[in-house]
Amino acid sequence: MLVKPTLTTARVMASETSLPHRTLAGIRSGSGTTASSGGTSTTIPHTPLRNVHSTFGSPSTIRAEDETIIVEIGTRSLRVGFAGDPVPRGVIAFSPEQSRRVGDFRAWESGYQDNWRKWTAPKDWGREYELWNYDVRNLDLDLVGDRIERALREAFTKYLLIDTKPRRMVAVLPSVVPLPLLSSMLDTLFRRFQSPGVSLLSAAVTATVAAGVRSALVVDLGYSETVVTAVYEYREVHCGRTVRGGRMLVEQMHQLLKQCVTEKDGRAYNDPTDKSEEFIASFDECEDLTSKLCWCKPAAKSQGSQQANKRLSILEEEDELEGARSTSQDTSESVEIPLSSTQPPAIIRPSFERLSEPCEHTFFDPQRQPNSFDDEELPVHLLIYRSLLQLPLDVRAVCMSRIIFTGGCSNVLGLRGRIFDEVSRLVMERGWTGVTGKVVDEQRANLRARSQVSGRPTEVGGETQERTSDAATAGQERDPVEEQLRKAAGESMPTVQGSLRCIESLGSWSGGSLVTQLKVPAIATVDRDLWLQQGAAGASRPGNVDVRSRQSMAAGGLIRGAAAGSNWTLGIWGVA
Amino acid sequence: MAPLSPYTYIQCPCSDAPSQARPSETPTRDIAADQDDDDRTFDPRAPRSNYSLYPLEYLLYCEDCHQIRCPRCVAEEIVTYYCPSCLFEVPSSNLKSEGNRCTRSCFQCPVCIGPLQVTSLETPPDPNLLAADNTSSGPSGPYILACAYCHWSSIEIGIKFDKPNGIYSQLQKLRNGGQTRLTAKERKDRRKEAMSTGSFASTHPSNPGSDDVLDVESQFENLRTFYSHQLSESTSAAPGLSMSDLGISSPSSLARLMNYYNVGSLDPSKKGLGNSRGRARLGTFREALDTEEGLQLAQLDESASISAFKASTLSDLTTTSQRLSQAESHLSNLVSPALHGSSRLTSTLRPIPVLLRTKRSKRCPVCRHIISKPEPKVASTRFRIRLVAGSYIPAVSIRPLRVPGVTPPPPPDGLLRPLVPAQYLLTFTNPLFEPVKVTLATPSTTPGRFASKVTVLCPQFEIDANTDVWDEALKSGSSETSRRRDEGSKAGGVAEVGKIWERGRNWVSIVVEVVPALIKTEGGEELKEDEDVLEIPMFIRIEWEADATGAEVGAAPGTGKEVREKRELAYWSALGIGRIGSLGQLG
Repeated sequence: MLVKPTLTTARVMASETSLPHRTLAGIRSGSGTTASSGGTSTTIPHTPLRNVHSTFGSPSTIRAEDETIIVEIGTRSLRVGFAGDPVPRGVIAFSPEQSRRVGDFRAWESGYQDNWRKWTAPKDWGREYELWNYDVRNLDLDLVGDRIERALREAFTKYLLIDTKPRRMVAVLPSVVPLPLLSSMLDTLFRRFQSPGVSLLSAAVTATVAAGVRSALVVDLGYSETVVTAVYEYREVHCGRTVRGGRMLVEQMHQLLKQCVTEKDGRAYNDPTDKSEEFIASFDECEDLTSKLCWCKPAAKSQGSQQANKRLSILEEEDELEGARSTSQDTSESVEIPLSSTQPPAIIRPSFERLSEPCEHTFFDPQRQPNSFDDEELPVHLLIYRSLLQLPLDVRAVCMSRIIFTGGCSNVLGLRGRIFDEVSRLVMERGWTGVTGKVVDEQRANLRARSQVSGRPTEVGGETQERTSDAATAGQERDPVEEQLRKAAGESMPTVQGSLRCIESLGSWSGGSLVTQLKVPAIATVDRDLWLQQGAAGASRPGNVDVRSRQSMAAGGLIRGAAAGSNWTLGIWGVA
Repeated sequence: MAPLSPYTYIQCPCSDAPSQARPSETPTRDIAADQDDDDRTFDPRAPRSNYSLYPLEYLLYCEDCHQIRCPRCVAEEIVTYYCPSCLFEVPSSNLKSEGNRCTRSCFQCPVCIGPLQVTSLETPPDPNLLAADNTSSGPSGPYILACAYCHWSSIEIGIKFDKPNGIYSQLQKLRNGGQTRLTAKERKDRRKEAMSTGSFASTHPSNPGSDDVLDVESQFENLRTFYSHQLSESTSAAPGLSMSDLGISSPSSLARLMNYYNVGSLDPSKKGLGNSRGRARLGTFREALDTEEGLQLAQLDESASISAFKASTLSDLTTTSQRLSQAESHLSNLVSPALHGSSRLTSTLRPIPVLLRTKRSKRCPVCRHIISKPEPKVASTRFRIRLVAGSYIPAVSIRPLRVPGVTPPPPPDGLLRPLVPAQYLLTFTNPLFEPVKVTLATPSTTPGRFASKVTVLCPQFEIDANTDVWDEALKSGSSETSRRRDEGSKAGGVAEVGKIWERGRNWVSIVVEVVPALIKTEGGEELKEDEDVLEIPMFIRIEWEADATGAEVGAAPGTGKEVREKRELAYWSALGIGRIGSLGQLG
């Protein structure tokens, strides 16, 4: 935790020395002043920044720098490209076919796909499509290295069209990747690809960079899990995870298909949470159908957040339209899905409404009580709300208006809007307090009634109200020094905060590409020689690393020898 | 279950090296691993083996290091870049600027990946007429891209072209549906106009316009400009605190940004030191505020897409593979905005420019000698240098041994009978011009759940040199060859221990006896894929004497003629014999 969550006012914040918070203090006092594009026009003219490589830089080193390769590794796929490209050049999805022997062409045999039962054991359904599992206890780490190697080699040969010359690489990774996996990945990059140095960037931070903001709440709706990361001033300050991700979605889709097939056969499908490990359709087909057909119902109409009012009204109109339509042809509206991997092949006709069920179950699970969820399986909207709640007040204010959805499942139609609405609803209902229950509701109602009676503004939970009514913040004195300083800097920052807002990011890979192209060195930069000598054990804690010397190395690419003496770190990945 | 044709895979020796050299993370385990390292047998069933086994045809051989080189352990250099569709060579400088795809008119169908052809909408699809037109005046536009296989055409996504050539550059300016894409300059002009007329932009200057959605490239470009501008600005704001004290002309902004990226120092005990230093020189740069600076508000209202999706049938939706190929070619198709879930309908697909390919020469990573070098000309498939392993190490072929009258007739389904001994003939063919000595070793039972017994009847033998075919024919009458031929046990009709089966000019057959295991699965344990295949791990060691090569005796060329040197090569291989049937199946 970066700051104590008990801070309430900007005043207290100012005395806290831990944060580079000047921006924030400025925002607090000067939210009235606005200067739109004037911010840029009032600045002193100056020579634009040039990328100076090094004093002794020869053209060859410049070229080598240009060819930095950005690798983003996820559970299901690997994205590779050069720094400076807006999108990756190659995307490699992991699949069982990828781990076949060279020269094994059985995947091309006719009927191979329909024979999926032969090449997947029931308990491994879908597991071979994943590169790794964060539970490394039963994982062959060397095998992970081999798989990464093969995928990278394919990407280099097929998409990047590069030779095997050693190149610097930048790995964009989720910050939760365990150390064994990380070290297995680094081993592969250093030993198999002879990369002279690998920098590690956190996927959440690069996604923030790719959105153009400094702080954000990054909701990564990934395959193996959904990770909600609060990034404040380019630092990860909080991270919440839930297993509700793509894998669960595909499994839920399979349940739905199974249900439909059994019903079609005339048998009653008794238990939707049937745990019999019998898979009726191949993972390939289920995943394909999931990505094709999954959609998410909009939130229940009665509640709406104050921010999304306009948008909601549009939605509601749309809904009414749709509602009118669906009442007329509700029963007939079904989707015809031919299933080829079942035995025997079948055609099922689930209704359109029903296709939203997997998404509903996976990400929201409305049937269960909020308090019945285990820590690792919170519904996504609840997780976002809790993550925000655990943030310090001002960090929360900044992060809540910069929500970024990334990851494969954010492509599910309507899901982002639904999550956003659910979070808004939660905020509306509960305000920013972690305590819920009947008594709290009663108390709140009481308070409200009393405040209405007395006509005096009272703090009623709910951050929005607090901000307008709390005497401590409202009556804050203007700080002349601060204002002067800001004037000198020629900046005024009308910053959106305190309201829920969603912004678009280009994605982690693009962020990594951007960061690398701007020659911002990463804290966690691993040198090949040092890694081969010391391995993961040689990494020191991030605080002990002399940032400046490392930075000069990374920027200029000189003093290779000096690196041997300096210590290095794995950043947040190395902190055990 | 289909019978299996026997196969041979060879494990490249390079694959053990790195894992053994890996620094020990858990020392105790490593010591144990070291101890049994010598007598560790190779398990072709282990999941890792799939990554180190290669058919002989995929392997190369370095003549100087006398070592097998697999695709994982060669250094590659690119000879030519070319488009496989139009066979045009692409200079390497273009690759950097224009990406990894053909920038002419070569496209793949986004639906079925068949090649797309440029067709005029005007001319009737009569091939004769088309040819005549081409020779004379040529058909007039508009043109479309059409797939001859699945009849997809670019009309489906609303794209037509004015010119029949340079489709790539035309396509880059067109969005699906036919609207042209705004360039950055046009966007700026438009904004200026709006400003001067005092409409939307001036009243809400800090509001990112929700209706102008940037495409990926513009957003990236905007972000990049914004960041570099901010970086330089914050540099000039705090010039005294630059990094000039280091004597390295790196921009001071880097140092400052370093502090931003100091994600590791979340540890409260560390933050005092790290941050007070960082804060002192913190000239903060702000975040992006509008579209011009790369900020994009998310369009969360996807009800339009949902209803479009609702109205569509299954065939209108893209499959996983189509979406993957779209993602791969995204760099060439940056015109569309980076919207979530946008690629669900086939109407959002875009033609895929053909990926370029390379011709590569391969070097030995140790001695840097070239071991494979193709002709640089695109159309030529010849190689200038190509040292394939097949001409240095013996090839192994496997077939069942059938002696009429002795062996029972093979089962009609081609499966191995469990627990019934079967004999197989391994034929080693020597490609070298020197006689080689071969030593074989196998574990007595195959690794894995179902252990079959394996006995190599003659684990040590010699193969004659790969002499000229005519020599053999001319010498056929000589006593020496016939004597050697006699030593085979084929004459006796029964495989004998310690004796080879048959010998030819440069080949030797030996007999391997296998007793296939009984495949039975207990409880719920399922049979894994290919677990019923009888696969023998075999360690092959070959030894031969060769003329010492010039490179090695270069110091004493006079005596070089007579110097013979002993060489050896040893590697694991996996021999697939056949599939084992079940007892019940065979009755």
